[in-house]
Amino acid sequence: MDHENYLKMRNEIAVAGLEQSSSAILVIGPEGHIVLASDGAGVLFGLAREDLVGLEFEHYVMPLFGQSSWSDLLSCDSDSVHDLEIRHSRGDLIPVSANCQRYDARPLSVPSGSESGTEASAPHWIVHLEDARRREHQDEMRAARLAKLSLLNQVSDALHGSNLTLDQILQAVLICMTAGQGLRFNRAFLLLIDQEKQALQGEIAIGPSNADEASRIWMDLAEQPADLLDMMTTYDRSIKQTDIAVNEIVRHMTIPLSDSENLLVQAMAEGRCRRVTPDDDLPGVETIRFWLGCAEFAVAPLVTRQGPLGVILADNAISRAPVTDLELEFLLMFAYQSAAAIEKSRLQHELEQRLGELSKAHQKQKEDQESLMRMERLSVMGETSAIVAHELRNPLVAIGGFARTLMRSLEEGDPNREFARIITEEVGRMEGIIHDLLDFIRPRKQTRKMVRIDQLVAGTIGRFQGEIDEKELVLKYDLQAGDVEISCNPGEIQQVLQNFLINAMQMLSAGGEIIIRTFLLEGGVQIEVLDSGPGFAEDVADKLFSPFFSTKATGSGLGLTISAQIIKAHGGVPGAENRETGGAKFFFILPLPKPGGGS
Amino acid sequence: MAKVLIVDDEPHLRLLYETELRRAGFETMAAGNATQGLEFVETMKPDLVVLDIRMAGMDGIEALQRILERDNTIPVVLNTAFSSYRDNYLTWAADAYVTKSSDVTELVTTVEGLLKDRMATSG
Repeated sequence: MDHENYLKMRNEIAVAGLEQSSSAILVIGPEGHIVLASDGAGVLFGLAREDLVGLEFEHYVMPLFGQSSWSDLLSCDSDSVHDLEIRHSRGDLIPVSANCQRYDARPLSVPSGSESGTEASAPHWIVHLEDARRREHQDEMRAARLAKLSLLNQVSDALHGSNLTLDQILQAVLICMTAGQGLRFNRAFLLLIDQEKQALQGEIAIGPSNADEASRIWMDLAEQPADLLDMMTTYDRSIKQTDIAVNEIVRHMTIPLSDSENLLVQAMAEGRCRRVTPDDDLPGVETIRFWLGCAEFAVAPLVTRQGPLGVILADNAISRAPVTDLELEFLLMFAYQSAAAIEKSRLQHELEQRLGELSKAHQKQKEDQESLMRMERLSVMGETSAIVAHELRNPLVAIGGFARTLMRSLEEGDPNREFARIITEEVGRMEGIIHDLLDFIRPRKQTRKMVRIDQLVAGTIGRFQGEIDEKELVLKYDLQAGDVEISCNPGEIQQVLQNFLINAMQMLSAGGEIIIRTFLLEGGVQIEVLDSGPGFAEDVADKLFSPFFSTKATGSGLGLTISAQIIKAHGGVPGAENRETGGAKFFFILPLPKPGGGS
Repeated sequence: MAKVLIVDDEPHLRLLYETELRRAGFETMAAGNATQGLEFVETMKPDLVVLDIRMAGMDGIEALQRILERDNTIPVVLNTAFSSYRDNYLTWAADAYVTKSSDVTELVTTVEGLLKDRMATSG
């Protein structure tokens, strides 16, 4: 192909390319006539592009008031854009934005000898026009997209940033689905996988049940702050009253996961958003339409990296507006956000639970350790006190003994006699403490025999009758254990009874009442010493049986501890509580011998 | 007058027991350790021995056995701070067991009771 032919061909290609462009492009010749026009320009002017060629461009262009004129346009630099109006073939004016590039065209170089070879270049203008209305529409779309992106951002912040419970997150998701600032669906339904039932189960829904309620809610919401987080908390208060109908609906929604053909199960499995129009016929769609009472709806899967969680169903049952592509697109993005938030909340919940278990285990371990340490301390303390007690005993015997001797040798009425008596008495008290202490430390020998418990109780308490009479106390018996025998060390059980009885007597003044009670329980016998005294403070209840705890001014505080030790050595349980009628109840339960377990 | 031997390594306790037993009408003698006590049992022939268990050197339990090896008719009262010795079978051979106390009444009455029994049986 020779050079000339090649240039011709290239020229034709360039012209065809321009003419067939869907953008509005015009080439204006040196005299202001249109020499070339694109298909897009034809559309803009309402003419076939062929018909535009030869027209005087100026007649079809109206500079806007105060804006650039046609000549400005031609003289300006190629980057600027001007707002103009063009006249459509119908006669109406259409706003456009125009951009103009000057091009100084040279004639094609033809074989030498031709006259045209010396012709000067001719100025041409390439004008790009754009329908401003279309741009506005695109701007709107862009704005809408931007608004929704910003919303998604807010949702993301709200769902991930704040420490919401799972219920709150589910509710927030639905609010975003329906709110004016959100996806603007009329109603939204959330279905989650129920692992137990192996089904998609309706969980929660949001939305008005009729047009009246809708307009009221939307008006309410319009008055509220645009901030999503605020709205979520505000809405929280009203959701219970307004959304009864939809929540009634959502509860009925159950789709077995085994129904893999079902459109919801499928949407979830495929992780795809889907718009269902009234014409679509899909597996399970009729049931969903029946539930919703609406033929068109959108489905979005809730899927995380760990797997599917459920689906969101949304419709415009009130406004009957179709679901747009944009809405669908955002529904999908939103569903991802929601799923991630739900997953996060569940994981967090799980984590909290595990943490709780762990801290409980740790607490238990700590307690065990403390109790062990306490026992060790007690054991060391026991040994130490045994040594100290022994060492103190002999000097005390000497001090107290001679004080007694001294007291007897002094005349009645001599004040020194009283002082000697005080020494004797105090030494006696110290000896009592040492006795208790040594008794407490000494390991007990088990010499058990079968004893009728009522007899043992009556015999032990009977010895104190004299003291009880002296203190003018009332003693009552209520012994119901009958002939029942238990295996025990009678001396030790007697000591427990004595301790309890002495304790009770010390709590009472003249007229006070003590009741001794025995009765059978399943597998055991309970022995109680009740008094009509002041009782004990509730906060000391668990310390009563601890060593060295005493509410009395005198006494070593070992009596009850020794008692508890004895009872436990018998496989029994000691206890103390205040009586409802006032006073204290000290009791212990001893196990009955197992039938056939020997004598 | 009955003679009571007190064996205890605490001088003040010896003095206390002697004082109280004399006041109760007994003749007393005292030894500061078990070896001396055994000697006195030989030489002074007491009617009764009050024996401390925990002593430096030979302890009261060993002394009890040695006394009984020579004369098992002489009453011995074990007098000690250790109530746990009650459970030691080696002490069962003693005629009585008294827990040390500043109130020596129990010791005195025990001694009186044992000696009365002895007088009665020996005629």
